[in-house]
Amino acid sequence: MSEGEKTKPEATLTDNGPGGTGSTVSAPGVPEVERRQRPRPKISTTPPAPPPPPKLDDYAPIIGKPELDDLRFLARQLRGKTVKMVNSTAVGGGVAEILNRLVPLINELEVATKWEVITGGNDFFEVTKGFHNALHGGEYAVTQAVKDIFMMYTEQNRQRMQFVEDLFVIHDPQPAALIASKERNRGRWVWRCHIDLSNPHPEVWRFLRPFIDQYDAAVFSSPAFSRQLAIPQYLFYPCIDPLSEKNKDLDESVVQKVCDDFGIDRSRPIVTQISRFDRLKDPVGVIQAYKLAKKYVDCQLVLAGGGATDDPEGAVVLQEVMEEAADDPDVIILNLPPWSAIEINALQRASTLVIQKSVKEGFGLTVTEGLWKSKPVIAGAVGGIPAQVIHKLTGVLVHSVEGCAYQIRYLLTHPEYAAQLGKNGHEHVKENFLMTTNVKRWLLLFQILLGTTRPHPPEEG
Amino acid sequence: MAQFTKLPITRLVHPTKFSFPRLVRHPFEEENVFMATAEMPAVARRWAGAPFYFNSAAHLIRIGREKATNLAELLEALKVCPDQSIFQHTFQTLREHHFIREGFSNDFAHWAFSACNEVGLAERLAGIDVREFTSIATLRQRLVDIVDAYLKHNPRARERSAFEPFYFSAAEVIVIPTPFVARNLAEFTDGIRQVSLHSIHYHFIDARLRLKLNSNDFSLWLENELGLGRLADRINRIDIYTSTLHDVRRAILRIVESRLG
Repeated sequence: MSEGEKTKPEATLTDNGPGGTGSTVSAPGVPEVERRQRPRPKISTTPPAPPPPPKLDDYAPIIGKPELDDLRFLARQLRGKTVKMVNSTAVGGGVAEILNRLVPLINELEVATKWEVITGGNDFFEVTKGFHNALHGGEYAVTQAVKDIFMMYTEQNRQRMQFVEDLFVIHDPQPAALIASKERNRGRWVWRCHIDLSNPHPEVWRFLRPFIDQYDAAVFSSPAFSRQLAIPQYLFYPCIDPLSEKNKDLDESVVQKVCDDFGIDRSRPIVTQISRFDRLKDPVGVIQAYKLAKKYVDCQLVLAGGGATDDPEGAVVLQEVMEEAADDPDVIILNLPPWSAIEINALQRASTLVIQKSVKEGFGLTVTEGLWKSKPVIAGAVGGIPAQVIHKLTGVLVHSVEGCAYQIRYLLTHPEYAAQLGKNGHEHVKENFLMTTNVKRWLLLFQILLGTTRPHPPEEG
Repeated sequence: MAQFTKLPITRLVHPTKFSFPRLVRHPFEEENVFMATAEMPAVARRWAGAPFYFNSAAHLIRIGREKATNLAELLEALKVCPDQSIFQHTFQTLREHHFIREGFSNDFAHWAFSACNEVGLAERLAGIDVREFTSIATLRQRLVDIVDAYLKHNPRARERSAFEPFYFSAAEVIVIPTPFVARNLAEFTDGIRQVSLHSIHYHFIDARLRLKLNSNDFSLWLENELGLGRLADRINRIDIYTSTLHDVRRAILRIVESRLG
């Protein structure tokens, strides 16, 4: 769900629980269906003020003091160096969310880091949205007009911005052509690509590639998302912030209250999928798997997410989900507003199992969130999920409704095994997918590019 | 260097060992079972000839050029990939997955099992013990030999598409000093207790390539600087494949503390 939207309606709770009072959930373009409804959850209709960003020392209880010492040592060698990060939006979207946490932490380590945002008209962002979709494999015509718009706004931004730092990190394709300023200064340039480039539209890639080739290094979220390039490519997994509203520890009373508000019975197993109502997340397949599993084991299914209010397709998918759930009182469907981080956190913590049965996925940060909360995770083997869910070690991977159903049955009837998966999953996230790990990766990359250190070869001689 | 003459003669069970070269066997080795408890505190306070500086290491993963979509491609890539890639997928993966006790000895074995469904090959690759290798070249050759032999006996497995590709990567390693220094066994114990798991990995697993010995930094220091050869041997025998790095830390502490009494 995107951040920063202020006029969303209150969360809609949709289920068929015995305490329901009977009401409707409406979706644009689809017929209204009679539904019983539990009492409305008490969620603010406007986003709460964001909490102040955490300080580095706040992470000590999570990652340990030695890890913080490592960060401070790496940063000390970069004192006096300056960094500029550039992306295309200050609010909304995953990149802005990451930079909101990353930049203050690097500054706290006394590596002076600025974050700047490019500007452009609607025509520019229409072009970059077209590029974005085309780089994911969609169709797009790269006309001369498209190229001109892209280059005109790039040039405007180049004139407006100053490039006097030692190191520049340019996020995603929108500002990629700022590399033209490289000639003017001594800095090193990194392109941080957050999207999957494995199957780009050839014409769009042909247009962008000459810019990318001028960078000193590129950073991708997965080896599978990268391209063959002449420049060094590094792997930075996406990450979660363990102190964010969505991931911080919660008092038991908060978890209980959220479950009470949503009519979830914590005395019985809870199986949860958190995701937008999107066919690529296969929520209907999750209900089918739940139904198959329920022949053998008792459980409730919670499907919570957003996207059904502002996205016509999401509303259609929500309707399909409701139809598949039919009158089962143990299927609880929640269409939450974008500012429901605490509620999502509580739902994940209350869950016995977490599911992410995607049929196509980017990295799948909801998987990371479930693993971080030490939950046994059942997930589709797509996108970045296999990097997180190592089959039968940090969770289980599935390829079908039937496989998902079997794993629900197995994990609910083998709690010790499920607990071990959850424990391993938590450690996996702690080692590889936390914000602090990414701070360390950036410091290492800065050191390597600025020549403040020389990596050790694996073998002497 | 430790001063032999400062030690009470009652500690010595095998006085003739005084003449042994220091790196082979320290004369006041702890196999003196009968001296145990009363002497323990002295062992803890014995000054090392040279201090042990605990380091840690940070790793940045570089995406490699090689990629395998079947076992034939894996074999070819194993022959030509950079040394850092062999290091990454064997030694380094033990650090990245340090919390797992079973089934994760190296990335090649895991891929052969989970993406190629070649259990026999996976078992053979998983059987490789990186502790036996003091150079990347010999480790690479062993990997190549195993895959090559398997494909000769199972030619149909050569071109069968894996469920997902194997992407070679390489680690760039930067050594980071820590504030912990040990000049005796008590300080060593304290350091082991407090350093990060990355430090344990660096000294206990990475060290084999650096030292070009079938040993580790901890054992070498205990033997050379404190003359605790048996203790060093016991620590070197900790099984990294059936233990997490937390377990390794606990096992080292258990062994050292049992010596301290």
